[in-house]
Amino acid sequence: MILRNSAIGLALLAATSVQAAEFKWASTTDPQTMDPHAVNSAPVLGFLNNVYEGLVRRGKDMTVEPALAVSWEPIGEGEGWRFKLREDVTFHDGSTFDAQDVLFSYQRASGEAADTRSWFAPVSEVIIVDDYTVDIMTSAPNPLFPSSIANWMIMDQGWTEANDALVPDKETGNYATINANGTGAFKVTVREPGLKTVLEPHGVWWGEVEHNITRAEFNPIQNPATAVAALLSGDVDMINPVPIQDVARLKENADVDVIQGIEARVIMLGFDHEAETLKYTDDAGKPNPFRDARVRQAVAQAINVDAILATIMRGNAEAASQLVSPAMSGYSAANADRPAFDVEGAKALLAEAGYGDGFSFGLKCPNDRYLNDEPVCQAVVTMLAQIGITAELDAMPVRNYWPELREDNYDMYMLGWSPGTFDAEHPVRFLVATPNEEKKLGSWNFGGYSNERVDELLPMIQSELDATKRQAMLDEVTAIYQDDHVYVPMYVQPLVWGTGSNIDLTQRPDNFFILRWVTVN
Amino acid sequence: MFAYIVRRMFQSVIVLLVVGLVAFSMFRFVGDPIDNMLGQERTQADIDRLRTELGLDKPFPVQYFKFLQGAVQGNFGVSYRQGRPVSTIIAERAPATLELAFVSGFLAITMGIALGVFTAIRRQGVAANVIMTVSLIGVSLPTFLIGILLIYIFSVELDLLPSFGRGETVMIGNWSTGFLTSSGLKALILPAITLGLYQMTLIMRLVRSEMLEVLRADYVRFARARGLSDRVINFRHALKNTLVPVITITGLQLGSIIAFAIITETVFQWPGVGLLFINAIQFVDIPVMAAYLMLISVMFVTINLIVDLLYYAIDPRLRVDARAT
Repeated sequence: MILRNSAIGLALLAATSVQAAEFKWASTTDPQTMDPHAVNSAPVLGFLNNVYEGLVRRGKDMTVEPALAVSWEPIGEGEGWRFKLREDVTFHDGSTFDAQDVLFSYQRASGEAADTRSWFAPVSEVIIVDDYTVDIMTSAPNPLFPSSIANWMIMDQGWTEANDALVPDKETGNYATINANGTGAFKVTVREPGLKTVLEPHGVWWGEVEHNITRAEFNPIQNPATAVAALLSGDVDMINPVPIQDVARLKENADVDVIQGIEARVIMLGFDHEAETLKYTDDAGKPNPFRDARVRQAVAQAINVDAILATIMRGNAEAASQLVSPAMSGYSAANADRPAFDVEGAKALLAEAGYGDGFSFGLKCPNDRYLNDEPVCQAVVTMLAQIGITAELDAMPVRNYWPELREDNYDMYMLGWSPGTFDAEHPVRFLVATPNEEKKLGSWNFGGYSNERVDELLPMIQSELDATKRQAMLDEVTAIYQDDHVYVPMYVQPLVWGTGSNIDLTQRPDNFFILRWVTVN
Repeated sequence: MFAYIVRRMFQSVIVLLVVGLVAFSMFRFVGDPIDNMLGQERTQADIDRLRTELGLDKPFPVQYFKFLQGAVQGNFGVSYRQGRPVSTIIAERAPATLELAFVSGFLAITMGIALGVFTAIRRQGVAANVIMTVSLIGVSLPTFLIGILLIYIFSVELDLLPSFGRGETVMIGNWSTGFLTSSGLKALILPAITLGLYQMTLIMRLVRSEMLEVLRADYVRFARARGLSDRVINFRHALKNTLVPVITITGLQLGSIIAFAIITETVFQWPGVGLLFINAIQFVDIPVMAAYLMLISVMFVTINLIVDLLYYAIDPRLRVDARAT
């Protein structure tokens, strides 16, 4: 009997040591391409961060750290940046990395066909100084340039040329769509789009190995209940995301852990600032009350964010005061207060603005874009009813939602924004600046808000090298959009991952899953 | 006969064309693929450029005509999401769906007939009543609920079977099969039961009521009077005569097994064409949606055509009518 027990023990031991080498994870979205320049979306860039590397990368706390560049410094008075490249780096196919690959990757990633080309708008020229030194010249001083290219991934020129994948091809695909050749800690060994992707460690990776994975398999699982079941049964070691309603149940289970953090995404309400009249319900055609800042303030004061967080988000999110979360650089600590929940005050503001009798309008919401987006909008509707304004909610899938917003088919809408640069300047550029197609400003400012001072400050913020002066300007912009109640920021969306209890990993606020920080115990 | 076939074929083609037209007129309401294809930092110019490139700025009859032009030449276009030819993707995914449909169809027929006969013969028995009651649950519970229930029992609680996916597959030519590996076979069990349960109960109830009817028929009574054994009466005489309607229904249900696989495939993350279609809807991947819908309608139209032709061959009255008109 004892003998048999020990045999079982040995078998178990063997089983766990095999498991320690393999790691499986699942997420709702399959990265649609392996080409790092073809699609600028979080699922693609997050996945490829394990395979490809940029000159710089983000660490566990989102700070920028050296990757393929060992150091960088500004050139002159801000004419550009000089990057010293890492030597003895090899791609997965064995070819060596040098400055030529950087120039090539710049040309590829900034070309007409690349989805990533907006990152290089400030760049005027890339110059090879020697094999391991590159100058990237910018048309204006650009203090944040190194951190803005953390997801610009370097490809091998020889491999790309040999496989006829010189330009990213999102529409019809090419060799780089399903194959990858990076310098990252893991290489793609199996790629079956929509089914599974297998990664194995890159034997001669330049960095120090922290993980103990010999093989990692990614499976997309669309159905949240199936993903939770797969985690509970041990078929996968990690899922992202965990449905909010399952968090409490999973926390009680000893076999799994729930890892929670605050994502970079701020959920807010937006208004139509330009339209003369309301477009929906009985009041369609009447003057648009949301052009009055007092009405927007009343909305802000009528929404009980704490109640939304406690009930709908079940305590898993944080209230937001501005368009970025406190974890982002450039966050304005001076403007950290959000308008207090105050029904009477809101009613008074409405009366003052001449809407004491209330009005009705249309609220547009996505129902599959953000965590619990539709329930939150329903709560907003009831909260607004308390101050006498009636919202008619129209919730729809995100694939119908953006076209509606672009067509200006809303009076009020919900929006989530995650700053790609992890800096407070990003939402100002996209959401607050006056829309300007030519300068690529305000492209998500659907409501058409416009403020001269903001437009004046934005380029100064973008080129200011002095951190204190820059922050002062960001504080000023934040105060402007807060006082004007351009948007009503509500909360920062939570990140909820589920793992087996034998897994150690690091959750980054950008929701990127970095495999080299995973340990299987 | 020939004129009948030609007329039916002609009708089938018209049905297909109409299905396609309806599908294309609906795609606009599914949503806009552009936002999924471009990142956060897109501009209006990018949106307009891509829309022109994909031909989405054209009215839907033009888009439909272009699709038909390609489809006739066997070219179904390129998936917006995967950037690969749709025909390649469907060919990759089809084996998963067909194997699943085959296994659940097989389960449904064998189990359905066996249980149907059993419940008809032991009409008053406890076991038969339990089976009838349980089958009622099988008919009334929605597929996704049954799937999730099975996953929770057999993979989360008992840890016997995988909760999702297809297991290891082996390539035989261009056909990926899960029949040859143990993980592949294990992965088939739960989805096959989920998908086949409804058809199984349907067949079972059909066989049972037909059996009961036949067992009351005069020739069965005569057979009994002749002193034949129960086994011979039940299986040689009664069952044989119940099978005609069963075969008709089963044939028609084959199409719906493949089409209804969408829900089962979503619950089990089964990598077949149904899951592909669901993903395509979420992404507004128009070429994939169009190809899938056309494929399914071709399948249904073909099955119906064959059934009609079989009736024509079997039922002499149709031939008489055709001559009279």
